[in-house]
Amino acid sequence: MSDSKERLAESVSALMDGETSEIELHRILKEVGIDQDQQIDSPDSVRGIWQRYHMVSASIAGEPVDKIDLSASIAAAIDTEDTHRQNPITRFASSTGRFAIAASVAMVAVLGVQQLNSPDPASADALQFAEMDIDAGQQNTGPALQFPAGFQPNAPVRTVSAGGAVNTSQRPAAFVQVRPVNSMNFSEKQLRLYMDDIMLRHSNNAALNSNRGMLPFARVTKNEAAASQE
Amino acid sequence: MTLKHWCKNLRLAAFIAAFFAHGPLFAEQNKSAYDLVAGTAMAAKELNYQGVFTYEFRGTLRSIKVAHLVRDGQTYERIVHMDGAGHEIVRRGDDVGCLRPGDMLLRGSDLMAESGSGLDDLYSFYIRGNARIAGRLAYMVEIRPKDKLRYGYVVAIDKINGLMLQSMLISQSGKPLERFQYVDISFPVDLGNIQLPEQLVHSQQAPGCLDSSASADPSISMWQPNWLPPGFVLSDIKVDSATGDEAWMYTDGLALFSVFIDSAEKSRRFPPVDAKLGTTVAVLNKVTVGDQHYAICVVGEIPDATAKQIAISIGPLVGTLEGAAQAVK
Repeated sequence: MSDSKERLAESVSALMDGETSEIELHRILKEVGIDQDQQIDSPDSVRGIWQRYHMVSASIAGEPVDKIDLSASIAAAIDTEDTHRQNPITRFASSTGRFAIAASVAMVAVLGVQQLNSPDPASADALQFAEMDIDAGQQNTGPALQFPAGFQPNAPVRTVSAGGAVNTSQRPAAFVQVRPVNSMNFSEKQLRLYMDDIMLRHSNNAALNSNRGMLPFARVTKNEAAASQE
Repeated sequence: MTLKHWCKNLRLAAFIAAFFAHGPLFAEQNKSAYDLVAGTAMAAKELNYQGVFTYEFRGTLRSIKVAHLVRDGQTYERIVHMDGAGHEIVRRGDDVGCLRPGDMLLRGSDLMAESGSGLDDLYSFYIRGNARIAGRLAYMVEIRPKDKLRYGYVVAIDKINGLMLQSMLISQSGKPLERFQYVDISFPVDLGNIQLPEQLVHSQQAPGCLDSSASADPSISMWQPNWLPPGFVLSDIKVDSATGDEAWMYTDGLALFSVFIDSAEKSRRFPPVDAKLGTTVAVLNKVTVGDQHYAICVVGEIPDATAKQIAISIGPLVGTLEGAAQAVK
């Protein structure tokens, strides 16, 4: 008996004890199918092994050993049953029905995706707001109060909070990232003031040129620039 | 069996109906969503209103009380910050008839020809349903950018008078970056109780209103950007002839960014930096022409990458600064 046959016999033995895995079971059923197609009915075929093992187990258990093969008559009985007889017309009808269902599902999916493939901000914004502004590059945000005032030590980019003294309350500080350069002599405080001033100038200009109503007034305010000069 | 057939027919009918309804239905919404957004600028200018709005970003909340008043064709605004130091601004806005490049772009005027693309080419507009904001019924409109160079918006627009009651800036990943929203607003016929300071009434409005389709004149500048995101046009330019400092403002009708070019000594020693406050990014770049140092800063409510790309592209106009540098020597 070849190696693979031996393994197959082991699987059959396991199947008798109800200990096969799904894959093993499929392999056994496939072998049965192959044997049937090739009209093999030797004692080495899966069916042969199956019958032999049962005879062995029956004889060990002291039951009467008798070779009765019911499989052919069972198969014949199943064939004569109405539900399993395939009528070409009903088969066609049912496949059309299935197609119709699939088509309508696809239609719904297409329409639905068009409606939904963007986040529905009307309903979801409240939830999403908790995680707002976590775009890459500024992950170390957290509450504004926890901003470090000085440079953070992590090289090669250094971070500054361009906000002035830390103790100036709830005012959110700009997140300033210094791009690595050959060392330049500059005052961190002056840089912060400069950036604050630039943002303020932008927001003043924006208020004049924007057509978005009062919105620009809210963004960066004199309030903050003044506070940072304390 | 007849029921089965009937169901099948119904399914087919629904399929066909959905197919035909689809195109025109969405096209109709598209058009009106754009019109709604275009109408907000005019509504904000022409209406009398007072109210309180909140502004949220990165877990910070500000509340701001505003009044907008139209008197004799002039607009006045009062903005009071309700938190912190209680800062107050009273200012004269533009005349009701004043149109700036941003307004022109939003309305789809001739400026489009200059920018090469209309707002419709840059953003998609969708009506996403209804909402109730500050006690008023509103349409929710989503404005989605067609490229990665700008942010999107979700705005709520008053159904009756077209004022923008809520606006959220939406990042490319679909997350809100900031939220502006009225919590209370009223539209009195006359805000007679507001006394306007005399000097405001007689002051001139800020220059830059357009009576034709002309945009700001960039020829006074010594610098030029070699790359701009599509659709942005120059909206305002100021050049200080004494110091050589320049301030530009660009808009695509919705988004805005400023460019500041600074030759001042104080900025000389600053390294290139990227800064971010809320949704406003600032990219500071350094350029040396001859032996003169310039700080070029791009600031705006645009994605970092866009701001960086603009900042890098800005260079001196050939034959201006070099010439000046030579002359100094």
